[in-house]
Amino acid sequence: MTEKSRVLSTIAGSIVLAFLVLPIFAVVPASFNHASFIRIPPEAMSLRWYEVFLNDSEWWKALLASFRVGLLATTISVVLGTAAAIGLERVTPRIRAILLGVVLSPLIVPVIMTSIALYYIMRPLGLHGTIFGLAIGHSLLALPFVVVNVGISLRSIDPNCTRAAEGLGASPLRVFRTVTLPLILPGLAGGSAFAFITSFDEVVVSIFLAGVQAKTLPVKIWEAIRVEFTPVTAVASTVLLAITLLLFFGVKVAGRRLASESAPHGR
Amino acid sequence: MGEVIAIRQLRISSRATMATAALLAPILLFMGTCFILPLVELLRLSFTGGRGPLWAYREIAESEVYRRVFVNTLLLALNVAIIASLLAYPTAYMLSRLRGWTLSFAFWCLLFPLWISVLVRTFAWILLLERNGPVNRTLSAVGIIDQPLSMLFNSTGVYIGMVHVLLPYALLPIYTAMRNVDDRLLQASDGLGAAPLQTFLRVYLPLTLPGVAAGFLLVFLLALGFFVTPMMLGGMQNLTVAMLIDLFVTERLVWPLAAAASFWLLLIVLLLIASAGRFLNLTQTVAAR
Repeated sequence: MTEKSRVLSTIAGSIVLAFLVLPIFAVVPASFNHASFIRIPPEAMSLRWYEVFLNDSEWWKALLASFRVGLLATTISVVLGTAAAIGLERVTPRIRAILLGVVLSPLIVPVIMTSIALYYIMRPLGLHGTIFGLAIGHSLLALPFVVVNVGISLRSIDPNCTRAAEGLGASPLRVFRTVTLPLILPGLAGGSAFAFITSFDEVVVSIFLAGVQAKTLPVKIWEAIRVEFTPVTAVASTVLLAITLLLFFGVKVAGRRLASESAPHGR
Repeated sequence: MGEVIAIRQLRISSRATMATAALLAPILLFMGTCFILPLVELLRLSFTGGRGPLWAYREIAESEVYRRVFVNTLLLALNVAIIASLLAYPTAYMLSRLRGWTLSFAFWCLLFPLWISVLVRTFAWILLLERNGPVNRTLSAVGIIDQPLSMLFNSTGVYIGMVHVLLPYALLPIYTAMRNVDDRLLQASDGLGAAPLQTFLRVYLPLTLPGVAAGFLLVFLLALGFFVTPMMLGGMQNLTVAMLIDLFVTERLVWPLAAAASFWLLLIVLLLIASAGRFLNLTQTVAAR
């Protein structure tokens, strides 16, 4: 490989990375528009549309619904996913591959299909338009991240650690609580953060399951973009972006700290 | 004596089996009732409607309009996968050469978009590609265009938006393949007198091609079922299968057709996985966040 190809790939690669990251932030200047239409960069800056957003109880309700669905979906997927990841370590590779395939399948089945199937089955059950119904749908999409990331953490544990605890007479539950859990904490934290964000950001399942009662922030933005095209949608998008950003950097920083703390014991 | 030990071991192993079953039962129960059961119900629904058991499947396959939607969706997914792979290859090469903080930074750039809602990413493109948006104004200020280009509600917008959203999925497997290339092989090729292009074509490209295949397939699969981006950036003349299914459910209220279209789509997805699934490593993609 020549120096020329290296320079060319660096130029192309930098442009591609910029193309990946920079456009996302277009919603930020758009949210500071003063006019009732969106222009980037704004001709006159103001916080007018932030006032509209903050004074509208509908947006607050959507934000609250998003948090409630997100927390419930994270709880469901972390509890089920962690148990499954531990169980998967105890079965034969063949069975593990099959079960993992089942767990990962919601990522391969087109989401629109999952959405309409859930919508069809939940409507007569009264789960349509509820926080719980949405959380179930989101858990399906979030579970793979928990199972895989916890699984990776589990495999990085030195089996001698748990064996030592067992040899010293600890019950399986105690071994889990005092040895396994602290060691898989980084993977668990990463998996659950991504589970939360998967739910918090999710659009397609949410559009079909939200109904009138359980509109999350993405559903409300989706409707707003299609009905009115005012900067308040840019404000809502900026809020969604900001919350995600906080969580992303929080996880990256905390993940690094947790990893460096458990590194001497883990492996 | 030996018998007692054997019985005790049997008891321990059966208790271990019980524990394993107890750990796996909740997720299987959950997936069974909340994922597989609804899909089975959808399958049952696809055979209803009273005009013969397979009428819905036949209607989708035989109607000129629906067939065109499927062909367009396949072409769209194919093109998006090609463009994404072509853009991802040099980028992955750059990443594979980076070390230290520049690598961390580049990796953050790559992973960060995966955390941001597809909705926000797509909405950003509406703002950027508008008639009076920054892209058009920049292009006309530089003098490349006289008239503003219309890039929204047609295929241009859909392509830009979908490549943007799906590119990271192409990049990750290619990057992994490149990281695993042993530099000594390239040096050996150089040492034996191969020209750089020859080394690339005969050593580096074949070694990294499985990664390209994995990235390509993943993008292709995800693009096939895409809903939000084509719905927001495309128009009704760029109907995708996902939009068609939505139309059947929310506007036309013909559930059998929606279900049949879904299963046609799933069949395509499964055929793709059956023919090229060995390249696909979903676990790795899910773990890379």
